[in-house]
Amino acid sequence: MAENNQVGGPAIGEGNAVYEVSSVSYSYEETGALDDVTFEVKAGESLALLGANGSGKSTLLKMMNALIFPSSGSVRAFGEELSEESLQDEGFSLAFRRRVGFVFQNSDAQLFSPSVWEEIAFGPLHLELEPGEVEERVEATVHILGLEHLRDRPPFHLSSGEKKKVALASVLAISPEVLLLDEPTAGLDPKTAGFLARLTVQLAAAGKTVITATQDLALAKEVAGRAIVLGEDHRTAGDGPAARILGNRELLLSANLIHDHPHSHAGMEHYHPHSHLEEHHHGDEH
Amino acid sequence: MAEAGLSIPEWMRKKPIDAGVSRNGRRRRTSVVERTISGLSEALRSSIFSERIAARPGLLQRIDPRIKILGFLTLLIAIGLIHSPFILLGLYAGTVLLAAMSRISPGYFVKRVWLFIPLFTGVIVLPSLFNIIRPGDPLVTLWDFGRDVHLGPWLLGDSLAVTRQGATGAVIFVLRVAASVSLAVLLTLSTRWPDLLKALRVFHVPRVFVLIISMTYRYIFLLLGLATDMFTARRSRLAGVSTPREDRRFVTGSMGALLGKSQALGEEVYAAMVSRGYSGEPRTLNRFSLAGRDLVFAACVAILAVAVIGGDRIIG
Amino acid sequence: MHIPDGYISPQTAGGLWALMVPVWYTAGYKAKRLLKARQAPLVAIGAAFTFVIMMFNIPVPGGTTGHAIGGTLVAVVLGPWTAVIALTVALVIQALFFGDGGLLALGANCLNIGFAMPVAGYYVYRVFSLGAAPGSARQWLAAGVGAYAGINVAAFLTAVQIGIQGDFFQTAAGAALYSPYGLSQAVPAMMAAHLTLVGFVEAAVTSLVVLYLQRTNPGLLLAAAESKKARAGGQRLKPLAIGLLLMIVFVPLGLLASAPAWGEWGPEEIREELGFIPEGMERFAGLWSGILPDYALPGDGGEPWAGVAAYVFSAILGLGIVSLLTYVIVRLTAGKDVRK
Repeated sequence: MAENNQVGGPAIGEGNAVYEVSSVSYSYEETGALDDVTFEVKAGESLALLGANGSGKSTLLKMMNALIFPSSGSVRAFGEELSEESLQDEGFSLAFRRRVGFVFQNSDAQLFSPSVWEEIAFGPLHLELEPGEVEERVEATVHILGLEHLRDRPPFHLSSGEKKKVALASVLAISPEVLLLDEPTAGLDPKTAGFLARLTVQLAAAGKTVITATQDLALAKEVAGRAIVLGEDHRTAGDGPAARILGNRELLLSANLIHDHPHSHAGMEHYHPHSHLEEHHHGDEH
Repeated sequence: MAEAGLSIPEWMRKKPIDAGVSRNGRRRRTSVVERTISGLSEALRSSIFSERIAARPGLLQRIDPRIKILGFLTLLIAIGLIHSPFILLGLYAGTVLLAAMSRISPGYFVKRVWLFIPLFTGVIVLPSLFNIIRPGDPLVTLWDFGRDVHLGPWLLGDSLAVTRQGATGAVIFVLRVAASVSLAVLLTLSTRWPDLLKALRVFHVPRVFVLIISMTYRYIFLLLGLATDMFTARRSRLAGVSTPREDRRFVTGSMGALLGKSQALGEEVYAAMVSRGYSGEPRTLNRFSLAGRDLVFAACVAILAVAVIGGDRIIG
Repeated sequence: MHIPDGYISPQTAGGLWALMVPVWYTAGYKAKRLLKARQAPLVAIGAAFTFVIMMFNIPVPGGTTGHAIGGTLVAVVLGPWTAVIALTVALVIQALFFGDGGLLALGANCLNIGFAMPVAGYYVYRVFSLGAAPGSARQWLAAGVGAYAGINVAAFLTAVQIGIQGDFFQTAAGAALYSPYGLSQAVPAMMAAHLTLVGFVEAAVTSLVVLYLQRTNPGLLLAAAESKKARAGGQRLKPLAIGLLLMIVFVPLGLLASAPAWGEWGPEEIREELGFIPEGMERFAGLWSGILPDYALPGDGGEPWAGVAAYVFSAILGLGIVSLLTYVIVRLTAGKDVRK
């Protein structure tokens, strides 16, 4: 784990803080504001950020990837504060980008290269790996995700499930310690969503810190050990072991993550508050 | 339904007026909306088709894209310098042969080339055949006026005739355009576009420009998709009657909406690039290597170019 | 308006390529400074947008449809220099992947559509929208006027480039080698279409899109205005002036250098041609004689360079008119800016 010391923060091992988010607020003309959010993420943790649309979870992820910066409060990664100024430092910026990977919700924004192969090579290349190693990593990632038949295809002719896999591959090829996933299963067919959930579990088991922003409670239950709920007031509404948070119906209702609505099961329609969790499993196969 | 807080108004429960599906025999005029949709989807289709041809194991597909671009540019210049219609015809025939050797069906190739530029050229060149437009020696006199005819300030001359110079010029012009367009189409059809892009580096096109071109091409398809959705949504809501004024509003409104979306997308793409280490300095892996056949191809092109220009000057 | 390959001689095409190099260099430098690293994706998507809207059919009074190029629109939103890059990229892709516009003629198309159109259109827009509040009627009207000017400047340059082919590139016997129509035919034909119809389509589209943006997305229109504010008033003139100066110097130089080099114009051929060209030009000079009485230069005798001189003269004249107009426009904007 020699690489961990590059940033100059404390050595990272199991249990050390990867992220310290303290009293972060952010305001933006449209959506995605945050109000006084504080939490820590330890290395190797698998965390779900739960919140309804517009609760600010995407904003928070972007902040944790140093793409935007808080209006007040601070985000520290690996002991170093993330700010426009610290990211100007080439050494820090390179190390940070190597250690943190971000899978965007919109695969179309993430896939900008002329072919799948080049898409996956983009990260390793720009993070200054040797050309030989870049090729090795791309080939290995293509193999792990089963993308061999797509390697020379342009990304825009792919299905949305294939796009998501390529987007994930483009981040995994960097081999980051921390994975930030923004709504990874949104708009995917159940099979691909299930594949992604299993892969996320495996990555967490392999020691990666995985932070998943989602409204998909089934996914959260499957992949996360801990959950943080962002309320519609853009504040932290709950933080704790995933099982406890996901069992707290009142909390989930107040955060607009579950709803009272009629829906049908095997042709039978009924009304009750439900969370797509204990009572029913939609789509996701185990 | 009360629980959901949504009540369906009475009018929404009724069947649509005249719910029967019947024909009334009147043809709907193809609208701008439909024409645009078919244009947009045509662009998508042809790009997918080209991609497939470029993946076939043909002669040109195997040539290194850098050599191919340089070779084709040389040939384009050579075509530009030829005076003899016979040599131009020979070169045109050569492109069809090359197409066949590159597993491009000659029928498709000829059609794709001639529609639309050479055909259009053939039409616009017609007036220049006549002596009143471009002077020359009469080849076929169509109408002898018997005296000088003036049209306003113009002197039309004493007869209407197709000139020898006009006819020769028209043949040279159309053949030159056809041969040039054929070469460009051959290049596009036989080269996968990521390779074509990388080959641009030979011309010292800065990396950032190559990056921009590649991203533009990629996002054209996303925007084409967005635009098609907008137009399709419009079509499904229209019974076919819309005034040109409404259409203009709609089309320009779509452009504005698309511009807004483009801008937001640009920001997000930038974030995605930064997230994976982009700092304004694009890097690429060069996976090309020259093989013997590339050198043979280059030599053939050079010999051909010299031969046709030389031959042209001798005939000329 | 895209010139296909085969319409202009390789000599002309090469000269115009050479001419675009300093323009691209300036545009790259300016755009980089204005937009920093963000430029790549923003320009790329701006170019993609340009490409896509060129495919939109617009209903034109009279029952047919046309399409807009959007050069001025892109310049109004992205700023003129970023627009030069975005349009160049769109033209490269059209030529390389869709066969729209030639490869050798790419330099010419980039000059007309990628440079002259957005820059002329943008500065005309600036003049007419000076002091106009964002969101005002004058702003979208100015965009329309700019678009009308931009597309007509581009059409004029295209017509000049095509017209010199008919006048100066022919076989010894007088058959046209490239586009057969001379300046006296190409320019009026092209301008008639663009001054009356095409120009208004472009203007209407640009105005309506700006109007739409004023209502729904005013931030887009402000972005370009803000980056402009950051610059000092006089600075803006310089790159434009340099670019135009280079154009005027390089076009004739390129032609003088390339014409004899290719062995196209031996003294024999020129003598034969000269017996013909001035005659042909006199014949059709009717329309032009009022405006440019000395257009067909004297020299129907043995002056071997008269043809070249006429050619160079026409190029300088065309470019001179454009640059004079642009200069006056820029001067006007700069002056008013200072007062403000």
